[in-house]
Amino acid sequence: MDFFGHQDVARKKSGVMVVLFFCAVTTIVVAAYLVIAFGISFLNTKGLTSQVPHKQSSSGLSLWQPRLFVIVGLGTVTIILIGTLYKIAALRGGGRVVAESLGGRLVAASSRDSKERKILNVIEEMAIASGMPVPPVYLMDKEAGINAFAAGYSPDDAVIGVTRGTMELLDRDELQGVIAHEFSHILNGDMRLNIRMIGVIHGIVIIGMLGHILIRSTFYSSSHRRRNEGQGKLALLGIGVGLMVVGSLGVFFGKLIKASISRQREFLADASAVQFTRDSNGIGDALKKIGGYTFGTTITSPRAEEMSHMFFGPGLQSMLGSITATHPPLLQRIQRVDPGWDGTYPKVKTPRGFDPTSAPKSLSASKSRRMVDTTSSLAGSQRLGDTMDLQPAAHAVEQIGQPTRAHLEYTVRLLATLPDPVTCAAREPFGARAVVYAMLLHESNPHQETQLKRLRHYADTLVYDTTLQIKPLIQQLDPSVRLPLVDMVVPALRELSPTQYRAFEENIQALIAADDGLDLFEWVLQRVVMHHVSPNFHRIDPPKTRHRSLKSLANQCALLLSGLAFIGNDDRSRANHAFTQGAGLLSKAGLALRPIRVKSLAVIDGALDDLSEVTPRLKRIVIEACAACIVADKKVTTREAEMLRAISDSLGCPMPPLLPGQSLT
Amino acid sequence: MEGLIPMIVVAVVVLILIVWIAKMYNTLVDFRNRFKNAFSQIDVQLKRRYDLIPNLVETAKGYIKHERETLEAVIAARNQAVSAEKTAANSPDDANAIRQLMGAEGVLTGAMGRLFAVMEAYPDLKANQNMMQLSEELTSTENKVAFARQAYNDAVMRYNTYRESFPSNIISGMFSFKEAQPFEIEDQAQRQAPKVSFT
Repeated sequence: MDFFGHQDVARKKSGVMVVLFFCAVTTIVVAAYLVIAFGISFLNTKGLTSQVPHKQSSSGLSLWQPRLFVIVGLGTVTIILIGTLYKIAALRGGGRVVAESLGGRLVAASSRDSKERKILNVIEEMAIASGMPVPPVYLMDKEAGINAFAAGYSPDDAVIGVTRGTMELLDRDELQGVIAHEFSHILNGDMRLNIRMIGVIHGIVIIGMLGHILIRSTFYSSSHRRRNEGQGKLALLGIGVGLMVVGSLGVFFGKLIKASISRQREFLADASAVQFTRDSNGIGDALKKIGGYTFGTTITSPRAEEMSHMFFGPGLQSMLGSITATHPPLLQRIQRVDPGWDGTYPKVKTPRGFDPTSAPKSLSASKSRRMVDTTSSLAGSQRLGDTMDLQPAAHAVEQIGQPTRAHLEYTVRLLATLPDPVTCAAREPFGARAVVYAMLLHESNPHQETQLKRLRHYADTLVYDTTLQIKPLIQQLDPSVRLPLVDMVVPALRELSPTQYRAFEENIQALIAADDGLDLFEWVLQRVVMHHVSPNFHRIDPPKTRHRSLKSLANQCALLLSGLAFIGNDDRSRANHAFTQGAGLLSKAGLALRPIRVKSLAVIDGALDDLSEVTPRLKRIVIEACAACIVADKKVTTREAEMLRAISDSLGCPMPPLLPGQSLT
Repeated sequence: MEGLIPMIVVAVVVLILIVWIAKMYNTLVDFRNRFKNAFSQIDVQLKRRYDLIPNLVETAKGYIKHERETLEAVIAARNQAVSAEKTAANSPDDANAIRQLMGAEGVLTGAMGRLFAVMEAYPDLKANQNMMQLSEELTSTENKVAFARQAYNDAVMRYNTYRESFPSNIISGMFSFKEAQPFEIEDQAQRQAPKVSFT
């Protein structure tokens, strides 16, 4: 299945989630009603009716009271909905909010700490190899377990979180395996589902939380109250216990929802990780280390319950066994990536600063150690990595969202060609602006003069100096490194303060406006930077699917293809030919397009925004049409490839860098 | 049944209130996280600076014959700053730790200023390739510190303003959200550093 297929599956899974959510709500309502009805009839028999206005005193034991049911039902549903909606609103900030609520600390993109640097480098390489901006990295300092997560709505606001245990205990290959697993969650569309699931689960768990709070507060307030309120206190306590009982049902459902949706995605992510790194040892060894480690994958943060499904390994021990486990058993995961495994776990030392005796007792490790006896059944089969071919002939469009080892190696080599000062500058917010400015500078003199003049006036003096310093280095860069460099500066630019960002944004606009037309690379750069950096400064709306057919978007499609055609071909008839090639693919979707003369690339922006709201399948068609339009003249320039990547990126489909000699479609 | 409507109204009002309070609380936490994260940017650059200074002193030692105490003062000030930086990095929301770091940084900047003044008397040292590279790197790092400080101070200001404004000040008082300390450089020499020319 390809990237678009996985996206579709992820979308269908959210349908399953909604159904399960309604089941959960119904059950909770019934349970809440039963608890309250029992409570009232209990009070009735104890002769407390005088305090509770209740007209049906004679039939107090009857369990079916429609009016009460409606009230309880409405109340429960309101609480659940408020809980869910509130959480969804709180998560509007995207991955950043999730990471911070779990106690994550943003690792500065320019960090020089060797362990932090290792993680940052691994993530940087993988992000560029998958054709997406480098995500910010959050470190959970207080977590000893080996675990990691990816959170966000889309690659634009994705963040990667790792625990201290992961950072200290895994070597580079293992880290690569774990991070590749997280990247596949980003690329397979799991993250968006996961973040929504947090909201849903928060709603159904909230009743139990209320009960907990009520019980605690009645105990705390006991000393301040007069004695004759004892009965009221008892009632409050009773309500609290009732809520807890109902709430535990919610917790159970929450786990069930997570389990039914997450577990299969974990296998998929493991397999994708092996495909990406083409090395089953990395992720396999990481999983084995987890098995031999006292802390395993434990997450101690109080938020771990509602977010446990996002992690690399189960953050919490599941009480009810395999029905509600968010992750497949460790043993099974290891065997899938490494069928020849002998079943022994390596011994892993606890890093300094953590007390090994504080580790939870019943961990997956000790459990699975007892279960090792199934290796023989799978021993004959090959390792996952061996059966995978390198897909040398795959087209670029087919590899969207499915980066391979080849991309990773290509990226590592590409990054090595970057001169040191540029790499250093790109990684911290001060220099990152200079890198972007320098990339926007025109090669020819009259325009460059205007641009520099603008920078001298409006940019920071020191940034201006830095821009001048790195300008010659940037202008010597191979065109193929430019887009990866843009991906690289994203995390540093996100560390700007809102004031600094505003000035930066204005300067970019001015630099682009300095010459008459919008140059293709300028457009690509602006598109990619703004698309990925601005979510950090504005509220983001989770991407929605508004269009199920391209029919209503014919105009946007025509604009996009025309833009592409006229950029790639100066002469009108050739442009028309290119346009027809692209439009031909779209006519299968029932569209008749006419070429439109595009004056500036800016109009494409709006078209792309609309087109980013179609279903994954349609996105694939649009991207294929664009590719067909580009290859119509039988040659693909770096600029055209860049443009296709920018389009693909705007549609939320990360496209790995074009490998040398690789064809587009 | 009549008693129920007011009860529902009260319940709804209470719920809205709870959601509102939770929202303010979360905003405070969010703003606090932002300035804490912004501090790590300063931290990275300060560490870099502390790593460069011993190299610079080592190079200078070979040339500077008199005024050895200037070199020692730089090293002492640097060591002070390193320990202050460690405490501050562990808890950027502790105003005292930040103030201590600011003080130590001020002393270090002063000592560095004197060292550069002394170096004026040694043209050989100034022409040394290594020295030139180091002082270039140091200047660039200081620029980055200044820039990171600006981002940090922006974040601190946003947090402090929100913390003190009504009605969020009730929440910040209740959950003891402490006032954050902006990072300012006290040394006079550094205050006048960037010159803006309008030509």
